[in-house]
Amino acid sequence: MDRAEATGLGVSIAGHVALLALLSLALVTAGRIPLSPPPMEVSFVDEVALTSAAPQPSPAPAAQATAPDVGPTEDAAPAAPLAPAPAPPEAEVKPPKPVAEEAAPAPPTPRRAERPAPQTPRRAEQRPVPPAPEGTGRTTRRSGLGDLDPRSFGRDPAAQRSAPPAATMNARAAADIASAIARQVQPCADRQINPGPGAERIVTPIILSLNRDGSLKTRPRVGEQRGLDDENSRYARRVADLAINAFASCAPLRGLPQELYDVPRGWANFTMNYRLPG
Amino acid sequence: MRIAIIIAAAWSLTAPAFAQTPPPPPPEGQGGKDEGQLVVDVTGGQRAALPIAVPYMPTPQAADTAAGNTGALGRQVAEIVTADLRNSGLFTPIGPSGLAPVSFPQVTAPDFGYFSTTGAQNLVQGFVQANPNGSLTVGCYLYDVAAQSELARQGYVVQPRDWRRAAHRCADSVYSRLTGEGAYFDTRIVYVSETGPARRRIKRLAIMDYDGANHRFLTNGQWTVLTPRFAPNQQTITFMTYQDDRPRVMVYELDSGQTRPLVSQPYMTFAPRYSPDSRYVIFSMAVNGNTDIYRIPVAGGTPQRLTNAPGIDTGGSYSPDGGRIVFESDRGGSQQLYVMSADGSNQRRISFGGGGYATPVWSPRGDLIAFTKTGGFRIGVMNTDGGAERILTSGGGEGPTWAPNGRAVMFTRGLSSGELWYVDVASGATRRVPTPLGGSDPAWSPLRP
Repeated sequence: MDRAEATGLGVSIAGHVALLALLSLALVTAGRIPLSPPPMEVSFVDEVALTSAAPQPSPAPAAQATAPDVGPTEDAAPAAPLAPAPAPPEAEVKPPKPVAEEAAPAPPTPRRAERPAPQTPRRAEQRPVPPAPEGTGRTTRRSGLGDLDPRSFGRDPAAQRSAPPAATMNARAAADIASAIARQVQPCADRQINPGPGAERIVTPIILSLNRDGSLKTRPRVGEQRGLDDENSRYARRVADLAINAFASCAPLRGLPQELYDVPRGWANFTMNYRLPG
Repeated sequence: MRIAIIIAAAWSLTAPAFAQTPPPPPPEGQGGKDEGQLVVDVTGGQRAALPIAVPYMPTPQAADTAAGNTGALGRQVAEIVTADLRNSGLFTPIGPSGLAPVSFPQVTAPDFGYFSTTGAQNLVQGFVQANPNGSLTVGCYLYDVAAQSELARQGYVVQPRDWRRAAHRCADSVYSRLTGEGAYFDTRIVYVSETGPARRRIKRLAIMDYDGANHRFLTNGQWTVLTPRFAPNQQTITFMTYQDDRPRVMVYELDSGQTRPLVSQPYMTFAPRYSPDSRYVIFSMAVNGNTDIYRIPVAGGTPQRLTNAPGIDTGGSYSPDGGRIVFESDRGGSQQLYVMSADGSNQRRISFGGGGYATPVWSPRGDLIAFTKTGGFRIGVMNTDGGAERILTSGGGEGPTWAPNGRAVMFTRGLSSGELWYVDVASGATRRVPTPLGGSDPAWSPLRP
């Protein structure tokens, strides 16, 4: 190697070292740049559950109104909020099982439904509480709210400005709910005994009114039966019994979407047509 | 079992608009009501016996009566109710033995939680109470276990000797409420009790409860008797006897125990049966080699001839409205069934199947005719126009008689030994009726008053 070659080699090495240093510096700098958008946690479920047809954003007013310790819905009624709490209505006192207890074994629901703040107070939150000892009414249960005025609850101006559409029942959701109800009632329907020839031609509608926890709010009402004739009319009353029994034996219903409870055509009130197999 | 689930939703009002525009927000608290309501269709059920729990019936205070201690009667009443329901073939009773005892206050406040663990869908509870005047009160309550509701309640005040009737009435109320059918447990059977070798067979008229209890003989066996029939008003029984070796129709007065000939004519008379109003009896009479069907008032009188075809016309049976009569005749060359108006007009053949048909009986409901299919002796039913014929028994049978609810048929099985059986027409379930001796020619009474 002559002098010129040695000089060239030295320059080349120095140049590569300088380039390597430059690239390393650039890499360190690039690591500080935040990724946009941030990663979203995604989980996969293997069961398909009922979904709401509501737009993604949940109505904000309900979230605003949900304090860490929320009293019954009726507690929030404007009437007599500051008087010593009267005994709650019996209908609210004794649901068969509070939702809070049922929520644990309930089938998985979509995360989409879990993530937003609930549109309406959950049943467990509606449970009556013992009367406040100091007579300040149920509104005293605002611990953690600091100096917020409880009278402003539910009147968030921001919410009024941007009230998103409520959950609605479309045909697909209705079919899903009807299917879910039928699946739960089916085992009890299968246990009903055919009383005699021709009874399978009788179609018995029963009008049902349910609580949010899926239990019966009132005794089912039997609608006008169809398919009656001279041969089977003697079985009409019995088949009506069977229709009621088929539903009552499998109540309360579980896993129905809360957001579609009392919307138009929701499952708060519905009709079940029952018939025996031919 | 195939179960069909059909899902439907009522969407006619909003479905077209939904895809285009978001629906207006629903008014608070009014969602899902009235128009466009969610509809769910559910089809399910089975053909099986209904599991029903019948625990022993308590007594509010144990007392001795002419029928025994009320505590023991409570147990016996529960056992009779259980047997009645089981005998119908439509129930699978659970208990009374093996079930937890029921206290008197629990009769009207059942422990539904406990009975739901027994697998019972329904529950019968009751009590037996002695009254100061010597009578008994039997309370009977029917519950739906799953719905935890009361379906029926009845109370029966009876003399101690009728305590079994109270139990049958309790079972009747349960049966009727849970099946939709008429009752039939509180009934009696009159039949021919048979004993002895074939050549010297002793045939006596006997009467008993439908389940074989309270059995007693009405005749002493001096004369052979055949084909007894209950009057619908249950005041008399008509039958055929060979008194003095002369076959003729007689009438037995149940109150007095007196027997008298129905027809004064010296001809052979047989196969009697009452009209639905108990005022007349139709029977067969052989005159100059021709046997026809006649009608005569129960009190006696001149027989009115209803048929006049050559051959043997016999086995007449009224429709429940009294407007028509079904009978058997060999006028066409073999025994077949015919229907005519009550005055003998409009005679027409209704059976055309192979083999012969005999002993037709019109159902109390009026919808079916039961018969004996000769050549194998089986019991069958057909529509009143002869259609939809079906055989109910496979092990032999003849001489059908309908239960008052038109759902069960009793008949004779085993010509040599003579046994009484009955079959549920809808399910085909059969059950033997116990008799102290051999039995044949049963006739089912209406419900007891």
